[in-house]
Amino acid sequence: MNSPDPVRLVLGKLIAETKAPHTPDSILNHFRATDSTRLPDKHLLRLLKDISYKRPNFREIHAEVTRVIERKDPMYALLVFADKYSDDNLKPRKSANSYFTPDMRPPHSQTSRTTSSSGSRGLSDDSSYRIMSTTRSGISTCSGSVSGKDIPTSTPVNLRKTEPNGMQLNGLLEPRQVQRDRVDLSLIKERVLNAVSEGSAPNSQRSLDPSSNKSSSSSSKSNANVQLVHFEAGLPDEYRTHQLWNYCVADSAKGSQLQQQQHPELGGLPLESQQRVILAELIYCLSGVRGNFIVPHLSSDDAEEDMSKYETTFTINVQLDKSLIQLIDEILPLASHFAGIQKIMAANDNHGQVHNALNSALMNVTHDYYMLLTQTELEMQQQELTLQKLVYYLRPTIWVMEEVWATLAQMQLNKYQGAAVLSHLYGRIKALEGDKASQEMIINLTQQAAVPYMRMLQLWIQKGIILDRNLEFLVEDNEVVHHDELPEHYSDDYWEKRYTVRDDRIPSFLEKYADKILRTGKYLNVIRQCGKRVMAIQPMDLQFNPTNEQHVHVINDAYYFAARMLLDVLLTENDLMGHLQSVKRYLLLNQGDFTMQFMDACEDELSKNVDQVLPMTLENLLGLTLRLSSARNDPYKDDLHCELLTYDLVTQMSKIMNQKEEYWQSHDRLDLSGLECFAFTYEVNWPVSLVLNRIAISKYQMLFRQLFYCKHVERQLCKIWKENSMAKKFSPLAAELYRSAFTLRQRMMNAIQNIEYYMMIEIIEPNWHIFIEKMKKVENVDNVLSLHQDFLDSCLKNCMLTESSHLNRAIFKLCKVCLKFCEFIQRSQPFFEDAELKSMVCDSSDDDESDSIDSDTSRSQMESSLDPADTFGESVRRFDLEFTGLLIGFLKQVNDLAKENTSDRFMNLVHRINFNTFYSEQMEKLCMKDVLGAKLKRTNDGD
Amino acid sequence: MPSEIITLQLGQCGNQIGFEFWKRLCLEHGISPSGVLEDFATESLDRKDVFFYQADDDHYIPRAVLLDLEPRVIHSIMGSAYAKLYNPENVYLSKHGGGAGNNWASGYSQGEKLQEEVFDIIDREADGSDSLEGFVLCHSIAGGTGSGMGSYIMERLSDRYPKKLIQTYSVFPNQDEISDVVVQPYNSMLTLRRLCQAADSVVVLDNTALNRIASDRLHIQNPSFSQINNLVSTIMSVSTTTLRYPSYMNNNLIGITAPLVPTPQLHFLMTGYTPLTNQTNVNQPAVNVRKTTVLDVMRRLLQPKNMMVSTGPDKTNHHCYISILNIIQGEVDPTQVHKSLQRIRERKMAQFIPWGPTSIQVALSRTSPYVQNNHRVSGLMLANHTSICSLFERALAQYDKLRKRGAFLDQFRREDIFKDDLSELDESREVVDCLVQEYEAATGMGYLQFSAKKRAADTKSEDSKSIGPSSG
Repeated sequence: MNSPDPVRLVLGKLIAETKAPHTPDSILNHFRATDSTRLPDKHLLRLLKDISYKRPNFREIHAEVTRVIERKDPMYALLVFADKYSDDNLKPRKSANSYFTPDMRPPHSQTSRTTSSSGSRGLSDDSSYRIMSTTRSGISTCSGSVSGKDIPTSTPVNLRKTEPNGMQLNGLLEPRQVQRDRVDLSLIKERVLNAVSEGSAPNSQRSLDPSSNKSSSSSSKSNANVQLVHFEAGLPDEYRTHQLWNYCVADSAKGSQLQQQQHPELGGLPLESQQRVILAELIYCLSGVRGNFIVPHLSSDDAEEDMSKYETTFTINVQLDKSLIQLIDEILPLASHFAGIQKIMAANDNHGQVHNALNSALMNVTHDYYMLLTQTELEMQQQELTLQKLVYYLRPTIWVMEEVWATLAQMQLNKYQGAAVLSHLYGRIKALEGDKASQEMIINLTQQAAVPYMRMLQLWIQKGIILDRNLEFLVEDNEVVHHDELPEHYSDDYWEKRYTVRDDRIPSFLEKYADKILRTGKYLNVIRQCGKRVMAIQPMDLQFNPTNEQHVHVINDAYYFAARMLLDVLLTENDLMGHLQSVKRYLLLNQGDFTMQFMDACEDELSKNVDQVLPMTLENLLGLTLRLSSARNDPYKDDLHCELLTYDLVTQMSKIMNQKEEYWQSHDRLDLSGLECFAFTYEVNWPVSLVLNRIAISKYQMLFRQLFYCKHVERQLCKIWKENSMAKKFSPLAAELYRSAFTLRQRMMNAIQNIEYYMMIEIIEPNWHIFIEKMKKVENVDNVLSLHQDFLDSCLKNCMLTESSHLNRAIFKLCKVCLKFCEFIQRSQPFFEDAELKSMVCDSSDDDESDSIDSDTSRSQMESSLDPADTFGESVRRFDLEFTGLLIGFLKQVNDLAKENTSDRFMNLVHRINFNTFYSEQMEKLCMKDVLGAKLKRTNDGD
Repeated sequence: MPSEIITLQLGQCGNQIGFEFWKRLCLEHGISPSGVLEDFATESLDRKDVFFYQADDDHYIPRAVLLDLEPRVIHSIMGSAYAKLYNPENVYLSKHGGGAGNNWASGYSQGEKLQEEVFDIIDREADGSDSLEGFVLCHSIAGGTGSGMGSYIMERLSDRYPKKLIQTYSVFPNQDEISDVVVQPYNSMLTLRRLCQAADSVVVLDNTALNRIASDRLHIQNPSFSQINNLVSTIMSVSTTTLRYPSYMNNNLIGITAPLVPTPQLHFLMTGYTPLTNQTNVNQPAVNVRKTTVLDVMRRLLQPKNMMVSTGPDKTNHHCYISILNIIQGEVDPTQVHKSLQRIRERKMAQFIPWGPTSIQVALSRTSPYVQNNHRVSGLMLANHTSICSLFERALAQYDKLRKRGAFLDQFRREDIFKDDLSELDESREVVDCLVQEYEAATGMGYLQFSAKKRAADTKSEDSKSIGPSSG
């Protein structure tokens, strides 16, 4: 039965010999065509003559074939033709007997869609099928030869298609051995068929003796065991034998014939005979072949969407004895469920790796089922089987099959794919607690169905690679760009967006670990992007076992390994903390001397309008400062750069708060000084940029800008302090005039410095300490990221750099007033210096009236020259009012905020600025005014 | 380098404390007595360039100018292990070596005569620095060279470098023992005037308090100069620690000084340090080691007994802090700072001026890794406190006593500045008196409207008129 089609072989050799413009198939087609379309006999003979004229015995054979074709079917003639040549010269391996009768074709071949049809179809169809089958695994063609017997026809096309798969057409020794158990399986099928047909048609001959049957079944059993152990997922598709188990097929092909053949009156038989007949019929039915007395009702494919879609109902011949019917009724669900399972398997063929793995697991179940049937059949042949016995044998199987069927049917109805299938199966395991046999069956199925999934998982957590053609894996790679062409803001997106967990693709048993799984592979990828090899640790054997949590340990191990490794890469090899220290040093002004020096160097440049500031100059000055200051020992100093933003801090903040993604896009330049737009930026490479990403740097910059601006104001105040210290040389009498200015300056200094102290010493430094402490215990990079973010957010919040409070605007306004005041004092400095020193000279000389008048006039001159409408004292008073108003307002705002939110440290700032309760009275006054105002308003409203 | 500071050491006392100061700095920065960086100190992140610069062979040279009119102290320095540290060109010894004879006027006149040579040195140092921030002057106010020559140089410096800061560490004489310098009250008064008018800030080192601290708190009988100077060098080095180990704030001299000095006249600062240990002998096991916390240190710093200025009892209890800067060193948890401040505020441990906002500023500073400190936390307070005027009142009283008698004025009259009359003395008294008045006024709300009265000066001038002829 396994020999290649001898007719084609013969034809092929003849054609090769004569080089006739034909192919074996084309000739076969001519001969096989129906009466209406067939060529005249003459032409057919002519064809044969064309290909065989070189043979020595050509004439005799041609004459014989001509005779045959006149009396019989042309096909018969062709067979005779081929037989003659093969007998004589070409020596095909089998006798012609085995293929002589066309009836030997399997009854299902006409409707089956795949393998066996090729023998009877045209070349084009055939080759297209071949392409399909060769793209599958190499075994497919081989097994095709088993069921379809069509390979040895070896058209050139076929040759070319199959050879790349390493298939030897004639010497199929090795693959064939691999296929032993498959062959066995088909033998079993054959036997089942035989048994059934014998039961229904007693005349037909028994083909196999019991002994061979036994041995083959035992061998197939051992094979099946081996298979379980060395189970390979993704079985070749032709393992699926579902085409056999379609009652429809039997119906159209053979059933009608059988029905025509005989219709014994069952009722007329004795009970014994009835049982025998019905037993055979039942086994027939159980294996999915249509019988006479148990007739299946097939549901159409587009039936209603519920479980019944996968159910088959049977009608039992009414003449049958009632007692038998009852027993049969008990067994028949098995047939229904089995058929349903086959149907589902067929439907899920090639619907992803999980389905394929599940199908192959089900194949094994099917196989075992056949084994059972074979055994019962054997017993039946030995006349030892009764219906009761059969029920007894099959009962456990009935239960298990019902559960399997129910499980699969639910799966199918919900259209589960991939991970959902696994979740479903896993859920069923729990649901079947107590039903040990079924549970074990489902566990087994789950385990095997999970194999490809777990393999993907293993690859991911071990290597960080996703090999997931069917989009079943829970992690999705959203790679947008190649690593080499990282855009500017890639790093921030990378971490969040590159790999994502697809919730719909998580098997329920991995749900808890999805996050870990995602991170594991993500870390590995980051490590790889750092240019390091991801070294596999100990060999990992990741298998899903629903009964123990082994896979959890493996996942955890892999996770800790990857997390540790990336942490090492980040913290040790790339010295993340060193970088953060540097950032803190420069962007948070921790390196105060550097800041001062830089301000010294850049003050002139930065006081220009931002449009006139030359970034190159700044960059050069920065480089110079870095090399000259104590920062020169910092290994990361070159990562620091200048940046001129196009908006001030307040704008930046509102941008960040409102639309996080867009804020760095440029906007219209406002009329701002370089100082207001200036910020340092810190550029780092992967993987440190993972932590110091664009967003983080922006947050640092916001802190920087506020600190830097305050620092600038402090410097200006210090500058006028130094200039004012000239006043100590003035006559003690004159000091009073300037004291209001000096004390105002001191109040400004106090406020600004305390704001700085507060931000640096009470916010940044403690938070940094906490951050450092936590970093010592950090476990993975996500932890690092969140700690760093917490640090920054806490700093921003407590430094009043959140949009909700408009406090930073108040700080900004305070700074502005201070700067204006500094400017004013600087402008008036030369005047009062002149005035006082002159008057001192006068004082030291004799008390001369005119001289003192002189000094008075020069003093008044000085005052009037500043502002015609304003004296010096009045200007100071105006500044005083403005500043105090702003400051009190600010303090009150902070105070109110602190009352609302006691967890924040805002109150500390109030305590600092108002340490000696200097402002308390004024603040209370303001509060009173508010209250009074509100009351007044209320009474007014009341009126 | 920016913010460089040039140290001028004048006279016997100035050179002695200066010597201790440089010894201390060398120790802290890991610089050997010959100026070579020790092997263990190559990796540190400190700023040596504020006080040192590097010669061509990379050895460190202090930005120090040593001036004296008599050779004794300078010779002892040049005979010590640190002789090679200094730039020999910066050591100026007057040629005749006769000293100033504890006479302010003599020192002042000699300063005037020697000014060209002295300012050659100072200008050279100033030109050698990138952006000089200021001068630090070490001297005593009672002697001749430190007070007289120091006064002259201060005046010239403030004229010549009006943009530079002038800070002095001025040693005030010990009131507990009878000085062998009889004209000390005159010297003090004349120097105080310059300190008022030429210096931007004066760190007052009161020998009275230093000696008391040494004997009472360190239990040293008859404390020696070097033991006292050790205390002084501690104060000097800690008060510059934020410059040398920069952090967020107070990284330049002006940043330290400006917040402490609200109005130009009130620029006399007192210091306090805790915990005090006898560190003269490093090998000697430390006694008296106690547990230190930030609060503990800050609380102690507010106690008068830890102040290095003997202010005398404040009977009316009206004196108050104008400003405070605490420099805290050691293992400090930044969160403790806030808690301590809160505690001080709630308990009202310190009294502050009513006429302006003020607070305790706290600068957390790193310490040198090469100097072992027995205590985990230590602190220095720089404070502007109105009670410092008691020091000036005392000086005034002593001066008045002497001046009334017109004693010992002859040696002053010999010098140019007093050739015509003694008005210089009276003017100085007037300035100091105004300062006292201003400090007194600063304790009250009325300070903003305060105006110094000339009343005191008038009475004095009468005195001087009455005394003048008699002594002449």
